[in-house]
Amino acid sequence: MKKTLALVLAILMVLALVACTPAGATNPSTPAQSGTTTEQSGGTTEQKNDQPAQQTSGGELAGTYDITVWCADNIVDLTKKQIEDFNASNTDGIVINATVEPVGEGDAATQIVVDVEAGGDIFCFAQDQFARLVQAGALSKLGVAAAEMVKANNDPDSVAAVSLDGDLYAYPLTADNGYFMYYDKSVVKEEHLGSLEDILADCEAANKYFAFETNTSAWYLASWFFATGCKSDWTTDSDGNFTAVNDTFNSPEGIIACKGMKKLLDSKANLSASDGAAFASNAAVVVTGTWAYSTVAEILGDNLGAAPLPSFTVDGKTYHLGSFNGFKLLGVKPQADPVKAAAVNKLAQYLTGEKAQLERFEAVAWGPSNLADLQLDAVKNHPAISAVMAQKEFATPQGQIHGSWWNIAKVIGDDVAAATDDAGLQKALDNYKEKIDALFGLTGYIFVGAWCNWDNADASMLMKEADGVLTLTLDVPESDYMGGRIVVAGEWGTDYGYNQVTTGKELLNPDMDPSLGNNGDNNIVFAAAGNYTVTCNLTTGEITIVKN
Amino acid sequence: MAKENNSMQRHMGMRAANAISNTLIYILLIVISVIWLIPFVFILLQSLRVESTWQVGYVVPRQWGFDNYVRLLSTNFPKWYLNTLIMALVTAVLQTVIVLCMSYTLSRFRFKMRKPLMQFMLILGMFPGMLTMIILYRVLKDLGMTQANAVPGLILVYVASSGMGYYVSKGFFDTIPKSLDEAARVDGATRAQVLYKIILPLAKPIVIYTILTAFMGPWGDFVFARYISMGTAAGMNVAVGLNNWLNLDQIGNNYTMFCAGGVVVAIPVTILFMCLQRYYVEGVTGGAVKG
Amino acid sequence: MKHYSDLEYLKLSKWQRFGYRVASFFAGIPKAIWNFIKRIGLLLKTIALVVANEAKDIWSTFVQGDWKTKVSYLVMGFGCLARGQILRGLLFLLFELVFIGYMVVTGVYWLRMLPSLGIQGPMKEYNAIYDTYVTTYHDNSFKILLYGVLTLFFIIAFLYTWRANVKQNKLAEQILRAGKKLKSGKDDLRSLVDDQFHKTLLALPMTGIIVFTVLPIVFMILVAFTNYDGAHDGYNNNLFTWVGWKNFNTMLNWSSGNKTYSATFGEVLTWTLIWAFFATFSNYFLGMLVAMMINKKGIRLKKLWRTVLVMTIAIPQFISLLYVSKMFAKNGLINLFLLDHGLIQQGHELPFWENPTWARITVILINIWIGIPYLMLIATGILMNIPADLYESAKIDGASGWQQYTKITLPYMLFITGPYLLTSFTSNMNNFNVIFLLTGGGPTNAALSTAAGNVGHTDLLITWLFKITTGEEAQYYLASVVGIMVFVVIAVISLVVYNFLPSIKNEEDFQ
Repeated sequence: MKKTLALVLAILMVLALVACTPAGATNPSTPAQSGTTTEQSGGTTEQKNDQPAQQTSGGELAGTYDITVWCADNIVDLTKKQIEDFNASNTDGIVINATVEPVGEGDAATQIVVDVEAGGDIFCFAQDQFARLVQAGALSKLGVAAAEMVKANNDPDSVAAVSLDGDLYAYPLTADNGYFMYYDKSVVKEEHLGSLEDILADCEAANKYFAFETNTSAWYLASWFFATGCKSDWTTDSDGNFTAVNDTFNSPEGIIACKGMKKLLDSKANLSASDGAAFASNAAVVVTGTWAYSTVAEILGDNLGAAPLPSFTVDGKTYHLGSFNGFKLLGVKPQADPVKAAAVNKLAQYLTGEKAQLERFEAVAWGPSNLADLQLDAVKNHPAISAVMAQKEFATPQGQIHGSWWNIAKVIGDDVAAATDDAGLQKALDNYKEKIDALFGLTGYIFVGAWCNWDNADASMLMKEADGVLTLTLDVPESDYMGGRIVVAGEWGTDYGYNQVTTGKELLNPDMDPSLGNNGDNNIVFAAAGNYTVTCNLTTGEITIVKN
Repeated sequence: MAKENNSMQRHMGMRAANAISNTLIYILLIVISVIWLIPFVFILLQSLRVESTWQVGYVVPRQWGFDNYVRLLSTNFPKWYLNTLIMALVTAVLQTVIVLCMSYTLSRFRFKMRKPLMQFMLILGMFPGMLTMIILYRVLKDLGMTQANAVPGLILVYVASSGMGYYVSKGFFDTIPKSLDEAARVDGATRAQVLYKIILPLAKPIVIYTILTAFMGPWGDFVFARYISMGTAAGMNVAVGLNNWLNLDQIGNNYTMFCAGGVVVAIPVTILFMCLQRYYVEGVTGGAVKG
Repeated sequence: MKHYSDLEYLKLSKWQRFGYRVASFFAGIPKAIWNFIKRIGLLLKTIALVVANEAKDIWSTFVQGDWKTKVSYLVMGFGCLARGQILRGLLFLLFELVFIGYMVVTGVYWLRMLPSLGIQGPMKEYNAIYDTYVTTYHDNSFKILLYGVLTLFFIIAFLYTWRANVKQNKLAEQILRAGKKLKSGKDDLRSLVDDQFHKTLLALPMTGIIVFTVLPIVFMILVAFTNYDGAHDGYNNNLFTWVGWKNFNTMLNWSSGNKTYSATFGEVLTWTLIWAFFATFSNYFLGMLVAMMINKKGIRLKKLWRTVLVMTIAIPQFISLLYVSKMFAKNGLINLFLLDHGLIQQGHELPFWENPTWARITVILINIWIGIPYLMLIATGILMNIPADLYESAKIDGASGWQQYTKITLPYMLFITGPYLLTSFTSNMNNFNVIFLLTGGGPTNAALSTAAGNVGHTDLLITWLFKITTGEEAQYYLASVVGIMVFVVIAVISLVVYNFLPSIKNEEDFQ
C-alpha cells in the first residue's frame, strides 16, 4: 500500500512534536514581581541594585524543596547527614528534600556546562573551574547578606577565589586545594627536607622516585616560577571573559626557575606523577594535596612525612618553591524562583559554615576555609593540613586564570627537559610568551592597516597591550583603489567578531562616497593618507582612531 | 628403487619439517596466549588483593580474599549492573529485529530506492557519531529520558540508529541462494512467510552474531552513557559508574574495587562468547567478507 | 600519458600494471572533475525538468479532475474518502490536521526564530525581598535550531504527502475510468506483508535513522555555522547565532595570518592517516597469520587458542585498556619489572608514554592486541572456505608454503576482504577508545598548545574533536568543523579506494 506507513509514522512524529511546545513561544518574559526591577538590553541583562541591604530577609521561606546536591563521593553520606541537621536546626521552617549524587569536583564543571538545567542545585567544584562556570551562567550571584557573611567568616584568599569583578558567585568549601610534599621518612632524611638537591640525592641513592608533576601539569609546574617571584595575573570582566594578563614568566627570574626545574627533570629520580598511590610504585616523595592523605597514610604508615616544598639553589642563591593555593568551592545553580533560591542559599551557607566544615575535616580531613575552624588545634596539628598551611606562606593565591593557560604553560616542562643550555631555556620561555601574546591577539584586536584589497592583510601588526589598552601607530599610504583603509577587527576565529569603530569617523577620506565610509559589517574606516594612532580599550571594547 | 628411496626421504624430511614448524607454532601460540591473558590475569589478581585498595607496583596479592567483591555490593554497583543488563538484553532483542529487517530487505528486495538508500547510509556512516551526542542528549531530555531515566533513553539511542549496521548481516543473507525464496513464492507463500519459514532458520549464525554484538555494546559505553546519565547514579551503566571510581579523589580507595567490578562485568559476556563462538565465527565470516 | 589497449595491458608485468592503474587514475582526475561538473549540471537540469513536470501534472490533474479531486487539493484525502478508500483517506486527513495543528501551535514560532536563533537571552534580577538573584530564561537557541530543522523536515514531508495525495486522486480517476475496482483498505493491509513487504520491514529502522542519525547530522553541520560554545550555550548565558563561514576560516585559515588551527589540523590529520594505515594492516596481516597458525593441520586445541584470544573482545575496553595504559607508565609494572631485574637503570626507563615516537609505536602495538582477535575470527572462516584442492594441486606442482601463501591465500583473502579493509581503515580513523583510554592523546604537542583541545602527539581527529567539546571553552562550533572535515577526508579516501576496487560495484556478483 502506497504511503500508508509513511503517513502513520509521520503522524506519530508530529504527535511527539506537538507535545514539546516551545518555552519561549507561550510565556513571554514574566512581568517583574514586586521588589524586583529589570533592565533589558539584549543578551544577558542584569539589574544593578543600589541600596539592597536594608530590605533583606523579608520573605517567608517555610516549605519543602526538592533539590539535587552534587559532591565528592567520600562526603556523600556526610552531606546527607548535614542536610538533615540543617532541616532540624534552621529557624525558617525550610525542609530540604535532597538527592545527593557523587560527582567529583573535577567532573562537575564539565557536566554542568553541557546542561545547566540538569545540573545539581548545589554543587562542589575546584577553583580552576570558577571563571568557566560563571561564563557558562551556571553560578548564581550571592545575595548581599550572604556575601557579607562569606567575607566575614572566611579566609580572605578564599573570598578572592569566589569573587569576580567585586561580586561573589560561590561559597568557599575548603582552603586546602594546594600542594605540598609527602615523603617517606625511611628514605628522605629529616635534615635534608629544606633542600631540593639533598632530597633528590636521597632518592637517587635509594633508587626511588621524586614525584612532582612538572612535565604534564601547569598547576604544579607554576611552583618553580612562583619560587623566583614570577607571576601570571589575569583580569576578567564581570561575565567571566578574560581581558588582560600581567605575565612575567619570560624574565631573568623565569630563567632561574627553569634552571631549578632542570635539576629535577635531569635527575634520574624524576617522575611526573601526583597520585598518592605512587608511593606503592617506588616513589619516596610525592608532591600532591590533602586529598591523597588517607591513601598515603595507609601506604607509608609510620614512615609518613608531610612538609612544605623544599628550596632549590641556583648560582648560590636559594629559592623556596612556591605553589598555587587553591580552594574547593560550593556553587548554587541559578534559580527562577526567588523563594527556592533563598532556601537553597541558606542550605549552601550551612554546608559551608563553621560546623559543617569542621565535620568535614573530622570525617575526611578536608582543610577548612572558615576562620574559626582554622584556629582549632586539631586542624593546626593535622600533618597534611599543617603542611599545606606551612606551604601557604610561599603560595600564590589561585586567582582567575585563563583556561588556555593550563595547556600553554604545561609544555614548558618538556621544553626545559629538552633544553641543553641557557639559550634553550630562553627559547622555552619565548615560546611560552609568544603563545600568551597570541592568546591575547585572540581576545584583543588585531589591527590591520591600510589595505588595498583583502590580500595584504598584515597580521603581524598586532596591537601592543599596556594597562588594558591596545595601541598601534601606523601610516596609511596613498591608495589608488577606494582610498586608504584602516580595518580594526577581532581576529578571525574568535567570537568577539568585529567591534564597531566608535570614534574617528571624522577621519574618513573626504573624497570617498559617504555610503562606503563606514562599512557597517566590517569596521573598515576609509582614511586619508597620513599617520594614525589606533587604541582599543579592552574593558569597554571601544576603538579610537586619531590622526597624528 | 633409487627414485622411491628419494621420495621416501623427501617424505620423511617433510614430516620432520612439519614437526618442527608445528613445534614453532605451538611455542608462538603459547607466547601469544600469555601476552593476551596477562592483563586479565593481572586485573583478576588485583581484584583479589585485600591488603590495600590503590594501585601498587606488584602483581601477586600478599593477602587474598573476596573483600572487594563484597564491598561492591554496598555501592551503587548492583544498580549499575542491573541497568546495564536490562539495556543489554533489550538492546539485543530490538537491535537484532531492526538489523535483520534492514539487511534482509536490502539483500532480497529490488525496489526503486534501494541503491540510493544504501548510498545514503554509506555517506551518513562517514560522519563521526561523537558529535551527535550533544543533540541526542537534548532530544532525549525533551522526551524525559535522561538522568534517572537514562536506561530507556540509552536503549532508544542504541536501537534507533542500529539499522545503519546492516552490512555484515546483509552479506550473510546474500550468501543464501535466492532460488529458495523463489521456489517458496511459486508455492504461494507471501514474502513474510518466506522470511519466517525459510530464511530465518538458515540465518541462525547471523542472528546469534547480531544478538551477541548488540548485547556487548552497552557494557563498554562510557562516553555517551555518561552524557545521558549526567551525574545521576541511578541512571548510570557499569562503565560510567566504574570510570568515576578512577577520579583523583576516589582512585586511592576504589581501585581494587574497580578491578573487581571489571571482572564481574566480563563474566556474562565471556560466558556467552565461549558458548556461542562457533556461530559468531560463522556469522562474521558469512557476512563481513561481503559487507 | 600513454593509453594502453587491453592486449598491451595484459603484456605488462604486475608492477607495471599497478603503476599504469595509479597513473591512469591520476591522469583521469581532470576528466573526472569535468564529468562531475557535467553531472551536476545534468542533475540540475533533471531537477528543473522534474519540478516543471510535477507542476504541470499538478495543474493538469486539477483542471481535468472531477470535483472530488479538486476538493482534495485543500482537504487531503477527501478524494479517497469520497471514493470509498476510507483507510487511506483518513490517514491523509489526519496527517493534514496534525500538520496544521503543529504549525499553528509551535511550528510557526520555530520557523520565525530560525534566522535569528533567538532574540532575548536570560535575565538576572535581584530580588530584594529574599536577597537573592533569580534568573529568568527566555529564548533557547538550541531548541530553536533543533525544532526549526525538524519543522523544515516536517514541511518537506507534508509537501511530499500532499503530492502523493494528488497523485492518488489522478490514479483513482484513471482506474475508475477504466472500469476497474479500487483497492480496499484490506487489500492495502495485505500488500504490506507481500508486494510491499519491504516497506513494512524498513519503516521502523528508517524512522530511527532519520530521527537519531540524519537529524543530528544536519544539526551538527548547521552548528559549524554558528558560534555555539560554552559561553554561548543558547539558553543559560548567551544566545548563539549564525556566523557564516567564519569557523571554517579559523580551521583552514584561508584569509588570516593565524595558522594555529590549520597547522594543528594538518598535523593531527597526518597522524590519523598514519595510525589508520598501520592499525589496519598490522592487524590484518598478523591476524591472518595467527588464524593460519591455529588452522594448520595437526595443531591441536584449536578452540582453546581461539577462546584465549577472544577474551579481549569480551572484556570491555575501558577496563582492559586503562589497565594496560598503567602497565606501560614510567613507574608502571613493566618498567618496575625491568628495573628490579637490572635490565634498565633508574632515569633510563622506557618512555612508553613520555616520548612522542614511543607513544605512537606503543599505541599501534597495543592496538594489535585489541584487533587481532577480530581478524583471527574473520580469517578463520575465510581460510576454511578456500577450496582444499587448490592447495593440493599447488603442492603437486611443488609450491613452497610461502608460494602457496602469496599465490593462493593472500589473493583470495584480499579479494574477499577488500571492502572490509576499507571499512576497517575508516573505523580506525575514528578509533576513539584505543587512543583515549591509552594515552588520552598525550604526550602534549608543545607546538600546538594554543589550539583549543590541548592536542597531543597521539590525538586522532576524533579524540581532538572530543577534547574540544569537553575542553575549557567547549567550542562546539569548532568541533563541528572538525567533524565535517573528518567526513570529507573519509569520503575522499572511500572514493579513491572504490576506484581501485571494481568488485564492490558488482554487488550482484557475490550472490
